[in-house]
Amino acid sequence: MQSDSDLAIRIENLWIRYRTTVEAAPTLKSTIIGLGRKETRKRQIRIVEAVQGFNLDIHNGSVIGVIGANGAGKSTLLRAIAGILPPTEGRITVNGRVSTLLALGVGFNGMLSGRENIVLGCLAAGLTREQIAQRYEVITEFADLGDFIDMPMRTYSSGMYSRLAFSVSIHMDPDILLIDEALSTGDAKFKERSFAKMEELVAQARTIVIVSHALGTVRDLCTEAVWMDKGRLIERGEPGEITDAYLRFVNVAARPTALEDV
Amino acid sequence: MEHVRNTSDFVDEVHVYEPHKASLPPLGPYLKEFWRRRRFAYEMSRSTQKASNFETALGTVWVVLNPLMLALVYYVLITILSGSASSKGATGELNLLHIVVGIFTWYYAQNAMSLGAVSVTMGGKLILNQAFPRALLPFSSVISAFIMYLPSIPVFLVIYLGFYLTDSSNTIPPLSASLVLLPVYLVILTVTSFGLAMVFGTMTVYFRDTSRFLGYLLRIWLYVTPVLYLPSKLLHHGLKGEILFYGNPLGTVIGSITALWEGQWPSVTYLLVSIAWAVVSLLLGAWLFISRERDFAVRL
Ligand SMILES: Nc1ncnc2c1ncn2[C@@H]1O[C@H](COP(=O)(O)OP(=O)(O)OP(=O)(O)O)[C@@H](O)[C@H]1O
Ligand SMILES: [Mg+2]
Repeated sequence: MQSDSDLAIRIENLWIRYRTTVEAAPTLKSTIIGLGRKETRKRQIRIVEAVQGFNLDIHNGSVIGVIGANGAGKSTLLRAIAGILPPTEGRITVNGRVSTLLALGVGFNGMLSGRENIVLGCLAAGLTREQIAQRYEVITEFADLGDFIDMPMRTYSSGMYSRLAFSVSIHMDPDILLIDEALSTGDAKFKERSFAKMEELVAQARTIVIVSHALGTVRDLCTEAVWMDKGRLIERGEPGEITDAYLRFVNVAARPTALEDV
Repeated sequence: MEHVRNTSDFVDEVHVYEPHKASLPPLGPYLKEFWRRRRFAYEMSRSTQKASNFETALGTVWVVLNPLMLALVYYVLITILSGSASSKGATGELNLLHIVVGIFTWYYAQNAMSLGAVSVTMGGKLILNQAFPRALLPFSSVISAFIMYLPSIPVFLVIYLGFYLTDSSNTIPPLSASLVLLPVYLVILTVTSFGLAMVFGTMTVYFRDTSRFLGYLLRIWLYVTPVLYLPSKLLHHGLKGEILFYGNPLGTVIGSITALWEGQWPSVTYLLVSIAWAVVSLLLGAWLFISRERDFAVRL
């Protein structure tokens, strides 16, 4: 067993609850109108338990693949690790600087060019202008978007979009990199380069958490896999075994389609 | 790039995320992060303005032209309503100058509030994907409003000089040294607007149609603020007028700023009330916003 000081992320009994009202969006108008009437007064509130009592220790230098069905709570888990969603219960301890590929806020404004989105995303992440200037060249070179870097991001294809997002987050010099589904849209050449870049990070004992439906990616890249279902941890272990168990569970034979990065 | 790092770097940044029992997050780290990323607020305001074409030449012209035209409209309206068309001449010009400077100043606050109201919901994608002090979003709205306000100062100076030089009956007062106080009052107005922007920004998360209601609210608010008339007009109405004037977070500040441009020294009472409202707005807005902001990601 490795010691505690070697932990990158410790998740203890994590619960995350979304509270959503069933009506489309809460408005002043509906609230004021509803004030008089008793029956409409109590809004229908639906509570979604996205993560339910999740425990996980992640060591420095490991590459964790998180797999599970749609709605299993994988994205929610990553957002909690990134400090975006506060836990409803439990505790998350993160040692080190986190960079998220939940797109890093890159591309949040389609009217702005890729260049401006990079600068804004990095500034929001707390980098100084000098640090951004230092990284800028490498980021654009790695994303390799050519002239599109100065075009509004609404003109990007989804692959170009994720290339830029990936390039930014990997060059943030993160201790912990969180990736949600981002590699699946990059083309083969870009995928290969990003694998190489991630291996470089792992070699420096950085930690990576990848959420992916591409089980092939999880098998190739990860040192460990975590299978999540309905907000709970079902199993963790060697990637090959976990993906096999997952496939057996969803009753899909290990046909090539399930392994392909669709 | 800093590829060489010490192992100690791995532990120099430890985050612990827990359910928030306290209504406010630890304020020290919050403010530190806010200050560290202030540049983000500025860049954010610059790029959003660019995206909405404010950075083009025509955009800048429009930012000044819009309040200027409105000032003209109100001037015509008020002249007709008060039936003082006969007493035209320099008093009319004085009224016009008061309205123009008042509207310019009012628009700074109004833009800060209406941009701030939608700043959180518009930044939804950023909020969902990046952890940062959310108060930077309404703060960037205030910066935008300020950038839109700046060109109105030289424009007003030109208009003023035009009137002053052609004024034969000496009714238009010369500018006085009191104008050196302008930055002080602008800081007060900025702080007040920032506080109010945070209030409306929070409200929009919970009630998505806030900005529509805000449109009406701002219209009424403008009419009870001494922009289209002098503060003395309100104060003549006894207690009711005093409540309307001093109870309005923007009343004394805007009243003082227009007084500065009319060559007067604003009263100390105005100054103290303005500062009090700035402090109250900032504390109230910050408390409301910062205590709810961890909820924003779940609600957007
Ligand atoms: N903003 C939200 N408000 C309410 N419920 C939400 C919200 N976001 C997610 N959920 C719910 O939380 C649960 C987990 O969602 P999450 O996005 O974490 O799943 P996921 O594992 O990432 O799924 P996928 O594989 O489709 O990306 C789902 O039941 C979903 O409906
Ligand atoms: Mg997801």
